[in-house]
Amino acid sequence: MGEVLIRTQSLRTWFPKRKSLLGKPGAWLKAVDDVSLTIYRGECLGLAGESGCGKSTLGRTILQLVKPRSGSVRFDGTALRNLDFRQLQPFRPRMQMVFQDPRSSLNPKMTMLKILAEAIRANPDHDGDSILDQAVELADMVDLRPEHLFRYPHEFSGGQQQRICIARALATCPDFIVFDESTSALDVSVQAQILNLIKRLKQRLGLTYLFISHDLNVLAQVCERIAVMYAGQIVEIQESGRLFSSPGHPYTRGLRDAVPIADPEAKQTFVSIKGEVPSLVDPPAGCRFHPRCDFADRLCATRVPELQRLERHRSWIRCHRYRQLNFNQERR
Amino acid sequence: MTMKDELKYKHLAEQAAREHRRERKIRTIAFLKRKSAAAALLVLVLITLAAVFAPLVAPYPDQGKGAVNLGERLQPLSGKHLLGTDTFGRDILSRLVYGARVSIFGGLFIVCAAALIGVPLGLWAGYSEGAPGVVISRIGEILISFPAVLIAIAITTVIGAGLTSAVIALIIPWWPWYARIIQGEVLRLKRMLFVEAAQMLGYGKSYILFRHLLPNIMRTVMVMMLLDFGPAIISIGLLGFLGLGTQPPNADWGLMVWEGAPNLMQQPWIAISPGAAMFILVMAFNIFGDNLQDYLDG
Amino acid sequence: MSVKQKEKPILEVKDLVAEFTTAAGRLRILDGIDFSLFPAEILALVGETGCGKSVTAKSIMNLLAEQVCKRRGKVMMDGVNLLDLSKKQMRSYLGRRISMIFQNPIASINPVFTLGEQIRRLVRIHMAGEITRVKSELGCTTAAAIDRLAAANLEKVGLTDVDQLMRAYAHQISGGMAQRYRIATAVLGNPDVLIADEATSALDVTVQAHILRLLKRLSAEKNTAIIFITHDLGIAAQLCQQVAVMYSGRIVEVAPTAELFKNPLHPYTRGLLKAVPQLSRKTGLEHIPGTIPDLRNPPSGCRFHPRCRQAMERCRRLRPPLVETKSHQVCCHLYDAGNKEAAWAKS
Repeated sequence: MGEVLIRTQSLRTWFPKRKSLLGKPGAWLKAVDDVSLTIYRGECLGLAGESGCGKSTLGRTILQLVKPRSGSVRFDGTALRNLDFRQLQPFRPRMQMVFQDPRSSLNPKMTMLKILAEAIRANPDHDGDSILDQAVELADMVDLRPEHLFRYPHEFSGGQQQRICIARALATCPDFIVFDESTSALDVSVQAQILNLIKRLKQRLGLTYLFISHDLNVLAQVCERIAVMYAGQIVEIQESGRLFSSPGHPYTRGLRDAVPIADPEAKQTFVSIKGEVPSLVDPPAGCRFHPRCDFADRLCATRVPELQRLERHRSWIRCHRYRQLNFNQERR
Repeated sequence: MTMKDELKYKHLAEQAAREHRRERKIRTIAFLKRKSAAAALLVLVLITLAAVFAPLVAPYPDQGKGAVNLGERLQPLSGKHLLGTDTFGRDILSRLVYGARVSIFGGLFIVCAAALIGVPLGLWAGYSEGAPGVVISRIGEILISFPAVLIAIAITTVIGAGLTSAVIALIIPWWPWYARIIQGEVLRLKRMLFVEAAQMLGYGKSYILFRHLLPNIMRTVMVMMLLDFGPAIISIGLLGFLGLGTQPPNADWGLMVWEGAPNLMQQPWIAISPGAAMFILVMAFNIFGDNLQDYLDG
Repeated sequence: MSVKQKEKPILEVKDLVAEFTTAAGRLRILDGIDFSLFPAEILALVGETGCGKSVTAKSIMNLLAEQVCKRRGKVMMDGVNLLDLSKKQMRSYLGRRISMIFQNPIASINPVFTLGEQIRRLVRIHMAGEITRVKSELGCTTAAAIDRLAAANLEKVGLTDVDQLMRAYAHQISGGMAQRYRIATAVLGNPDVLIADEATSALDVTVQAHILRLLKRLSAEKNTAIIFITHDLGIAAQLCQQVAVMYSGRIVEVAPTAELFKNPLHPYTRGLLKAVPQLSRKTGLEHIPGTIPDLRNPPSGCRFHPRCRQAMERCRRLRPPLVETKSHQVCCHLYDAGNKEAAWAKS
């Protein structure tokens, strides 16, 4: 641990919104707007945020499924952005993704074996001999049995389908896996099973994870460090325990306070952040959170705060008034 | 991995395959048990066999092909001529059998050719962003906005009448329907996460197109083609009726209706027989197609 | 049923059964639902996918097609069994005595009319008395009175810029605003019961908090009882006074919220609580082995028995009875006083 696996620098992914007749874009949807993030080898970094904050896009941009407009992504030291299709090939097996909807992640016409075989073959270094053996091993890693290999996706439950997706992600022996809301579509008990599996695999195979979720409870379970995203920008990164006990950013605090606790003794008040999530096409000037922030002042409305490094290990915050606000003294 | 383990997996594979086959059999039997599907299938098979073996099935093959028999003009239904004779004394049943050839094979040709042109174009339009998609869409939209038969009429007036011209003329406005629907399907499938997963693994566009997209649209294409037979048959019939398709003395259902129109009051069987035949064939295709859709979805 | 509440329940569901006729045969989606809802109480109906919580709500409201779904049992409201009412008779109850809001608020608003048109129509139907009062008070026309009442109702749920909102269409507003709007239209007839079917599942957590607060306030102000259907145990813990846990067509446990979380009786409830991730949780998660039953071939006896660590022989044979302890209502053989095996198995 300590080695940097992924580093993004001022990453921007913008989507054209309105095209004129000639195809020139009128407005831009700034899904990822100036994100500089470091993911260390062996860690599970969480990416939290509400709908439309750009977290899915950030995950896809890091994996080069979506081309960024500007900024860089470095994987194990190598910049990925300007690589063409062929040059990107050796990196593909090393970074994989598990998506949100297990059903549409699997080609309904392919058996589990074919799905895994396709993934195994994608790795140019793959062992020539028995793909079947490797598939059996992968199935076993996700607690599925050899007979499952010959079944079609519709014959599996949601949880099992997601496990197939995880097996596929492991098939290329990756260093890094992005989980994009991978448990959001699953029931509580199934989710628990998958989370335990994911944790076990990370430990056993020494993987690095980026876990994207809107559900803070889930992130608390699996992640050591959590980054909070708002309106296309990272507003806070902290060790997960500390993020929840003493959040630095007013948005993080509001988010945490809004999550209902499954303990009747903790009498919550349902007081939450006012307003709505801003549009990514026309975000507020200055600090993007300022219209909804109870502590915003004139500076917040005019100048975009920088993502500052904190003294604490690997922590960052994007807030002008961080020092004055000092939520550290707060206890839930 | 020992020999025994390898065999164990083979056994599991076979077991799964057996179960899938069994499920398919159950579904097929349920499908055939549906009276409408079975009846439609029967009708289709009978008419197709009749068309293929026309010389053997038609009681008067020469008359079917056009030879006149002026001695027995305008005979009503009888034991000798099951559906009577027309103005030239030709046995209507035989003409129906030979006319079936035009309808079935002509229809088959149009639908297959249109699919062969439209599906790849639709695939290409849907998968590649930008210019090709737009161009194909626009061309298709222009062609679709006119009734196909109208365009075919215009074309045959230029290239001349006849069965071959009629078929070619119909293919031209026919393919856009396939292209547009397949384009839509591809756009939908492109958003499916398993396509992104394949991209994640580093597979290229053509691989994804053939290995992931194509297998998933085959079902749609099959149903489209089956349901498209009806309109194709009617269109050929229409052109025949207008004299732009099969030329006399050959048998063609549309032509036969036109030939029987002047005598509609006194000898209705001449015009009604081919009309009824077309109706039955098209209905059979539609009913079979609908049921097939249910079967494939189930 | 809580002994504390000596009041009469506003809604009493007894042995509600719903059978669906499908291509796969007859599915018994609801296998005897029992629960009681008291005035101004908020009850959580908690369960995982496929347990039948939405079907329960729709069965109570008679929103299911009669040809497809046959209902049996008792849904008593003021001495009337709602199941005996025809769809037409039920319509007079909708909005007036019992209302419902759904998971996707924007989709549940008619997209063709403006929001204003829709709420004005409802005001005209449900608030006749109020209209007359406003007319006499302010000496205005009926239309103006309706407008005022509509605006007032929208403001009461926390919506601002009401005039502009009334001119908008469903697709032009956000999910949070849409759900507030739907709540406004659902409660303007002052129903005794409001059913919220996963009403916040599609909303962001910060917006959800506002909606939950709104519902809590409305329940207290208008004396409306709420059945809040959800899979989120956190919402159940924070919002509701009673929690009913549902599994595969039966309510397996009902108890006051604090009791249920502190002392869960049914093995499924216990399993569920051990699987819920929490911010503060230090221990790992445990999952319930197995999967939810296929209703084409449901397990015999207790539908949960294949997954239950404490299953006894009789669980496979007999459907568990409804047992009432002093704090809980449980459907489990473990708590059946007449069951001698139970004492041994509980240890």
